[in-house]
Amino acid sequence: MNGMLEFRTQGYNGYAVKYSPFFDSRIAVAASANYGLVGNGRLYILGLTANGIQAEKWYDTQDSLYDTAWSEAHENQIAVACGDGSVKLFDVSVPEFPVMSWQEHNREVYAVSWNLVTKDTFASSSWDGTIKVWSPNRPASILTLPTHSCTYSTAFSPHSPSVLSSVTSDSHLRIFDLRTPASASNHLVHLIPIHGPGSTGGISSVGGNRQNFPPAEVLTHDWNKYRDTVIATGGVDTIARTFDIRNPRGGPTTLLEGHQYAIRKLAWSPHLSDVLLTASYDMSCRVWTDGSTTAHPGIIGGAKQLGQMNRHTEFATGVDWCLFGAEGWCASTAWDERLLVWDVRAIMGQG
Amino acid sequence: MSAQERLSAVVGHLNPLKTSGKAKILEKHADDIVLTLAIRTPLTKARKGGLKDTPLSDLLISILTALREKSNIDPALIEDVCLGNVLASDQAYIARSAVLAAGFPATAAASVTNRFCSSGLLAIQNIANQIISGSIDVGIAVGAESMSTCPDKGPPSMGDTIEKHVLAGQNTQPMGQTSENVAGQFSINRKAMDAFAAGSFQKAETAQKAGWLEGEIVPVKTVIKDPTTGESKEIVVNKDDGIRYGTTAESLGKIRAAFPQWSPSQTTGGNASQITDGAAAVLLMKRSTAIKLGQPIVGKFVGATVVGLEPRIMGIGPSLAIPKILGKFNLSQTDVDVIEINEAFASMGVYCVQKLGLDPAKVNPRGGAIAFGHPLGCTGTRQVVTALSELRRTDKRIAVTSMCVGTGMGMAGIFVSEH
Repeated sequence: MNGMLEFRTQGYNGYAVKYSPFFDSRIAVAASANYGLVGNGRLYILGLTANGIQAEKWYDTQDSLYDTAWSEAHENQIAVACGDGSVKLFDVSVPEFPVMSWQEHNREVYAVSWNLVTKDTFASSSWDGTIKVWSPNRPASILTLPTHSCTYSTAFSPHSPSVLSSVTSDSHLRIFDLRTPASASNHLVHLIPIHGPGSTGGISSVGGNRQNFPPAEVLTHDWNKYRDTVIATGGVDTIARTFDIRNPRGGPTTLLEGHQYAIRKLAWSPHLSDVLLTASYDMSCRVWTDGSTTAHPGIIGGAKQLGQMNRHTEFATGVDWCLFGAEGWCASTAWDERLLVWDVRAIMGQG
Repeated sequence: MSAQERLSAVVGHLNPLKTSGKAKILEKHADDIVLTLAIRTPLTKARKGGLKDTPLSDLLISILTALREKSNIDPALIEDVCLGNVLASDQAYIARSAVLAAGFPATAAASVTNRFCSSGLLAIQNIANQIISGSIDVGIAVGAESMSTCPDKGPPSMGDTIEKHVLAGQNTQPMGQTSENVAGQFSINRKAMDAFAAGSFQKAETAQKAGWLEGEIVPVKTVIKDPTTGESKEIVVNKDDGIRYGTTAESLGKIRAAFPQWSPSQTTGGNASQITDGAAAVLLMKRSTAIKLGQPIVGKFVGATVVGLEPRIMGIGPSLAIPKILGKFNLSQTDVDVIEINEAFASMGVYCVQKLGLDPAKVNPRGGAIAFGHPLGCTGTRQVVTALSELRRTDKRIAVTSMCVGTGMGMAGIFVSEH
C-alpha cells in the first residue's frame, strides 16, 4: 500500500488517536510506556507536514494514558484519560503541564468523549464503574453516573447534548438521558445486552442455536454520525455489532464477524453512514459496511468486511477518521509504537 | 492500579469467553434438531442376499413400521417423510404409498430426494430444514435402495450438447472409470487400495462378531425366492451378509482388475463397494418437541453442506466437503471422534484419508461400504445410524459423515451423539 505515512512513538505504545476537529493536519496520540502496564504516559501532538509527520509537542504524565479527546470548543485544548484515575486537560499553547487535572475516579480512566453538540462538557469512564461529566471550567465533576461495572468506553451522542452511552465489562450497552429525572435509575434509559440473539431475520430466530453468544467484555462503541439511533459495539468476543436503540430489546441489527481477537476500538465514518472502522488485538484494522445503504428497503443484509489493513505488528488499539477532505483518510495506532496515517480506499477489497 | 491488575485485564481481553466451535456444537438448545431414533435394516448382497426379492416398497414399509413401533411416536404427529432413493422408477408413488401402508395416517406426507449417493443424508437435511424453518414439527428421513430389483444402469444418453461439453461430458463416464481416474491422477497404488479395503473388512468383522451392529439393525421379515425351484418362503433377515471374514490385503491382491479397459486398472471387486439392498431411517424433531413428547434424544443434527467438483474425479468429493463443513462450524479434525467416508472405491478412500491427513483410527471404525455394501440411496442415512451407534459404544460425541457423489459432488454433515 503506497501513500501510508508513519510516525514512531518511540518507547511508548499507542493507545488512542484523535484527529483535531479544527485543523486537518493535527493529530493527537495517547501512548504509554511498557504497554500501559506500569510507567509514564505521553500525549503527542503531531502535525502532518510536507516532510511527513512531525511531533509539534508532547506532554509526559506520571501514569499511563489510555484515551484522549479534543475539545470541540477550543482548538488548543485536549483531554486525556489517565491510569492513575485522573482526567487532565492540556492546552497546546501551554508547555509541559496540564491546565486542569481532576482526581475523582478511583481506578484507571479508560475513555474520554467530548460533547459534540453544546461543546462545553465532556465525559470520562473508568474501571471504577462510573462515568463522570466535566466542564473544563469547573474544579469538580458535574455529574456521576454509576454502571457498577468496569466501563471501558463512554460517548456523547453526536445528535443530542444530553444523551450519552457506555459499554462495560458486563456485556451491556447503556444509554443515559440527562433530561430524565435522576431518581433511582440515575438517568439510565436503556440497558441493552450486547450478547443477546440477533433480530436479523428468520435464520437467526429459528436457528437460534447458531446465534447464541455468551456474555463478553465490551471494550468500545461509537454513535453513527448520520442515523441518530444507531450504535456500533465491539469487544472481547471479536464481533462488531450494530444496534438500533429504538428497538432496545431487538438484539443486534448486524453482526460483523472476522476479527480473530478482541476489537479494541471502532469508529463510524464521518462521511459514509454505513462504514465502520475497527482496530483489534489481532493487529489488523478493518473496514466494514453494515449493509444499510446497499440493502433493499425493509430488508436487512449486506453487512460485510470491505478491507483489511495489516501493517501494524502489535495489538492495534486506536483508530480515527479524518474529518476533512477526501472521505477515506484515517489514522491508527498500536502497541508497535507507530502511528499510521492511511487511506481506507487503498485497502478496499483486501483481506 | 497495580501492573498486575492491568496485565490481567489485557489477558482477559485476549482469552475471550468465546466458546470454541466444539463447545458450541455440544451446547443444548431448545431449537436444536435432534434424532430420537436411528435404525437400519441389515444390508444384504444384491441378487444373492436375503433382501434380493424385497422390492423398494416392502423395504420401506418394513423400516417405517419398525421406526413407528420402536419410537412409540404417535403416527399422527409425523407430518412429512423424505425418501432418499436413487434408482427406482415411480419413486414418488412408492414413497407416499409405503408411508401409508406402514401405518401412518393420511395426514403424513411424503417426498423423494435424489442426489445420488448422498440422497440419504440429503433426506435428513431436508427434513431438518423443514423443521428449522417451521414448516413442520416432526418428520422422518429414510434412505432406501433395492439394487436387486432396480439395477444401476449407469449413465444414460444425454444428447450432443452435454456429451460434447468439457465438464458435463465427463458424466458419461461410469463410476468405475472415475475410480481409475482418481487412482491414476493422484498416484494411488493398488497395494494401498487393497490395504484400505482389507481394513474395512477387518473392522466390520470385529464389529459384527462383537455384536456392535445389533445396535443399528432392525430385522426385516420378508419373502425370498429359491433361485432354482422358484419357490417362495418367509424369512427374517437380521444380519449383514457382505462381510468376508479373514480378508487380508494379500488375499485382495489376488483379485483381477474389474476395469481392464481403464488405466491404471487397480479397482477390483474386492476394493470397491458392493452392490447391496438396504434401508435406514431417522426420526427428527426439535429438542423442545422431543422433551414435550418424552422422546429419547439419541443425537443432534448440527449441519450439512455440499460441494461440486470435476465429475471425472468425483470420488474425492469428501476431501472438499469435510473441510467445508468443519470450517462452517469452526471445528478442527481433532474435535471429531468418528469420520464416516463412504467407501465407494478404495482409491477415493485412500486419497481422502491421505489428503486430509485423517487419523485412520477415526475413519469408518466399523468398516464401510467395501465390507457392508453400498445401497446408493440408503448409505447417507445408514452412515449416520452407524456413526451414532459407534459414538454411543465408545462414549464419544462428534461425528462427521461424508460421501462422494456421482456426477462430481461431495456432501458432508455433522452429528453429535447425546447418549
